[in-house]
Parts: sequence; structure tokens; C-alpha cells
Amino acid sequence: MRFLSLSIGARALLIAGALLVAGATRADLPADAAINAAAPLQTMQPKVIVNSGRLEWVPYYRDLTAWPTLSHQDRRSTPRPRKVKLDAPVRGDPARGRDLAMRPDKGYCIACHQLPGEEWPGSVGLSLERYKSYGHADELVFQQIFDARAFNPHSVMPPYGTFGILTVEEIADLVAYLQSLE
Amino acid sequence: MRASIACLTLGLFAASAVWADPEATSAPYREYAPMENYRPHVSGDLSLSGTYAYWKDPKNLDWRMAGNPEENWKLNWKFMDPPFNPAIHGGHFALERGEALYKSLNARGRFARCLGADKGTLKGLRARYPMYHRTLKKVAGLEEVIEHCAAQEGRVLQNGSYDNSAVSLYVASQSNGMPIRIDVSKGEMHAAWERGRRLFHMRAGRFNLACASCHTHQIGLRLRGTVVTTPYGDAAHYPVYRTSYQLQSLHLRFIECNLDTRTQPLLPGSRAYTDLEVFLTALSNGYPVTVPSERD
Ligand code: HEC
Ligand code: HEC
Repeated sequence: MRFLSLSIGARALLIAGALLVAGATRADLPADAAINAAAPLQTMQPKVIVNSGRLEWVPYYRDLTAWPTLSHQDRRSTPRPRKVKLDAPVRGDPARGRDLAMRPDKGYCIACHQLPGEEWPGSVGLSLERYKSYGHADELVFQQIFDARAFNPHSVMPPYGTFGILTVEEIADLVAYLQSLE
Repeated sequence: MRASIACLTLGLFAASAVWADPEATSAPYREYAPMENYRPHVSGDLSLSGTYAYWKDPKNLDWRMAGNPEENWKLNWKFMDPPFNPAIHGGHFALERGEALYKSLNARGRFARCLGADKGTLKGLRARYPMYHRTLKKVAGLEEVIEHCAAQEGRVLQNGSYDNSAVSLYVASQSNGMPIRIDVSKGEMHAAWERGRRLFHMRAGRFNLACASCHTHQIGLRLRGTVVTTPYGDAAHYPVYRTSYQLQSLHLRFIECNLDTRTQPLLPGSRAYTDLEVFLTALSNGYPVTVPSERD
């Protein structure tokens, strides 16, 4: 096992690393992926036109081409689980953390977890309403968000750090937020 | 606030270093949600979610459960959204158009034969799809075969298009009430079922989720406001009318679930989607074809 030490300033490197594992090159995309290879946002979405024999395709607002698909021809690997070691205390911003936890384009933790002051939470993950009372170390919480597969290989919680969904600063903000919930 | 974070440093352990993954050149590394045992019949749900008892007979659904948010998901109400209104919805217009299209395509009786109709009758045909198609020389879903057979008549009915799904709906309507009956016990169909079962458990996309992450392992649980229902009985009511999609074929539904979970979707008719269709349709064996159906 190799040990990599990254300072937070090397954030760009970390994200580039996550993309590298997934293999973000066009040449790797399977032939049956729904894409427009000529567009910057390559991922396409079907649009059904009433009374027409043609299916229209419009650009999807997110580009999803960098991650492995279900295609039998897709030869790309899934990024492997990664363990994180914190060398310094987490000093995130709980208010930003809360925002990240609610936003569908960011953590969207509320899709699966109960959090204070929010209606229609999910019930796939356990309630985080009084998270601080569990008394978990910051490093453990950070790891759970960065890559939950380190604790449970079958976790359905997205590996936010390894997959570059959230930056390490954003994960620090989420840790600060959860540790503020009394 | 931002500046204070700069003192946080990270050490990263990875099973293999990110920059030079030694295994990247051999077989791709993919992850799978825990495999379950499935039976290619709706009753297999009894050992998965156990809700089969409530939706076994669509004609005798308990309407009180539909009004109860804690119980509604157990009805596995796939072919109609509460409050169900069997009267007029967009699916009926599509059905009418599908009938007209079918009749013009089949003016010479060739189209029906190409679809695999016995002696020209559509009765029971939908219940046998997906099937191994002789001229395509592969297992194919009804919509893929419609596209192929329409092309033989010089017409463009792209897989997933409104008109393709409308014809599919009309063909299905001729089997209304008949139980799905596909045989996945041998040959090409068995191979497709096995591939589909594996794909259903293979993680993909930016969230690293498999279909089974939600549809097998979160049944009855909420994702934000939506409760996940059993994968059994998912396929007998497609294509379905939905206000946001007009007509949605099963492969377009796969695209929707892929996009919702940040996974690059595939083209309708792709091998992987067809395998998933075979798998899900086998989980609907014994369930009656119910069209035109409507969902939110
Ligand atoms: C798709 C569902 C899903 C999403 C989205 C999700 N989680 Fe989770 N989470 C889970 C599940 C399931 C568990 C249970 C442990 C496991 O399987 O990893 C869990 C466990 C946790 C735990 C550990 C609880 C404990 O102390 O045992 C924390 C902390 C957590 N999640 C925080 C978050 C945060 C913060 C976010 C958003 C950035 C988030 N989760 C998004 C499903 C999810
Ligand atoms: C993050 C969760 C999630 C994942 C992953 C997911 N789905 Fe879904 N899916 C849902 C939800 C929620 C619904 C709507 C509720 C329901 O019908 O159970 C749904 C509905 C469906 C339906 C429609 C059922 C009906 O009759 O209307 C099908 C078919 C389906 N999913 C197939 C798939 C397939 C195949 C995959 C994998 C490619 C997949 N889903 C991945 C959450 C998910």
C-alpha cells in the first residue's frame, strides 16, 4: 500500500486523479453511449416528440461521460476505495456544510438522511439529526463522506471524495456541519 | 473562513496508487451490489419484498392502501397512479395512433409476420417479448423489432420514438390481461437473463450505484420523497404514458434512472438495456399485460 500525502492546495491534483482512474477520454467511451461527440457537454438526453417516428436528442445539462457505464463494451474501471488520513484538525464552515447537504447538485445528503429543519428526507441512511451526540471522531466522519467503502464495501452512499463529487474543503464543511448538530 | 481550511492536510491511502494503477491494463475493476436470488416469475417477490400478496391480482387492489403513504408502495402500483383514472389519458390517444400506424404498416400482412405474430394474430404476442428474433439473429425487445420491421416497409420508427412506442402499445393492447410468459431457462434467452441479472447489480456512474442498490436493497425506503418499490412486476405495463415524457418505453425509463444517478446512459436497443429488459420482464412472468397505463 502506498501512502500519498497531499496538502489541501493540491486539490486540483486530487480531482484530476479521480478522473484519471475513471478514464475520462473520449476514445474509451463505448459505442452505444448516448453522446454527441462534437459537443462539449457530450451526454445526450432523449426527447419524445408527439406523433413522430424520430426520437430527438438534446444535450443533458451535466456531462457524465467520464464514469463507467453499463455497456458491455465499457472497459473502464471504477475508482477503487481510498482511505484518508487527516494530519490536522478539520476546520470547516457549518453553514456552508448545511447548504451542501441540501443542494441536489452537491451532497444532497437529504435524499437519504434525515437532517434538522427539512421536510421529505430520505430513509435509506440513518438519521443525522443529532449527529454530534454519537461522538464520532472527525476523521471517521470525513472518511465516511470521502469514501464510505472503506468501512462498508457495499455502502450505497456515493464516494464523494474519491469520485470528485465534492472537494476536500467541501467535505470539511460537511463534517463541521454534522458535528454541530446537537 | 476559507483561509482557515488551508491548514488541513490529507494523507491518502489507496489500494493502488491513483497515478499508476497496475491493474488498469488488465480486466476493468468493477463493483457489484450483493447478488440476490431471483425467480423468473412475479411470485419470486415473496422472498424479496413480500409485497406480492397485495398486488397479486390487479383487479382486487386495496384502495385504502393507496390513500396511505406508509402502505402505498406495497401495492406496487406500477400501471396506474393514484387516484387512478381509467378514463381518458394521453395513453389512449397514443393507442389510437398506434392502431392506425399498425394498420398502414401491415397493409400487406408482412409487418405482423416480421413481428413474429402467429397466423397474423397479435393475440399473446406482447406476452412473449423480448424473444430471439430470427432475422435479427439475436434477442430483441418489441420496440427494437418494430423499428426493424418498419424499416422493411420503408418507414422510420426509431426505437423510443412516440410512433414506435404507439405501435408497441397497440400490439400490447391485443394481449391485455394475458400474463407475461417468457422462457429464460435455456439458450440465448437464458444467457441474456444471466447478463441482465449481473448488470442489474453492477455499479456504474458518478454515484457508483447499481440498479439493485435501490431496486433490491432499498425497497420500501424513501429517497427524498419517493418510495422504492419491488423490481418484480415492473415490465408488463410498458410503454407507459407519462405527462413529462408523453410515451416512455422501458429503455427510456432505464435512461431516466441512469441520468438520475449520474450515469452516462446508453442508446435504446443497446445490448445492455436489452439484457436488463429480459431480466426485468422475466420478473414480470405471470403478471398481466396492462396498457395503456399512466404514471406521474
Ligand atoms: C444514496 C444514499 C446516501 C446518500 C446520498 C448519502 N448517504 Fe450517508 N449513509 C448512507 C447509508 C446507507 C449509510 C449507512 C452506512 C453505510 O452503508 O455506509 C450512511 C452513513 C452515513 C454516515 C455514518 C453514520 C454513522 O455514524 O454511522 C454519515 C456521517 C453520513 N452517512 C453522512 C452523509 C453526508 C454528509 C451525505 C451527503 C454529502 C450523505 N451521507 C449522503 C446513504 C447515503
Ligand atoms: C438511486 C436510486 C435508483 C437507482 C440506482 C435506479 N433506480 Fe430505477 N427507480 C428509482 C425510483 C425512486 C423509481 C420510482 C419508484 C418505483 O417505481 O419504484 C424508479 C423506477 C424505475 C422503473 C419504473 C417502474 C415503473 O413501473 O414505473 C424502472 C423500470 C427502473 N426504475 C429500472 C431501473 C434500472 C434498470 C436501473 C439501473 C440502470 C435503475 N432503475 C436504477 C430509483 C432508482
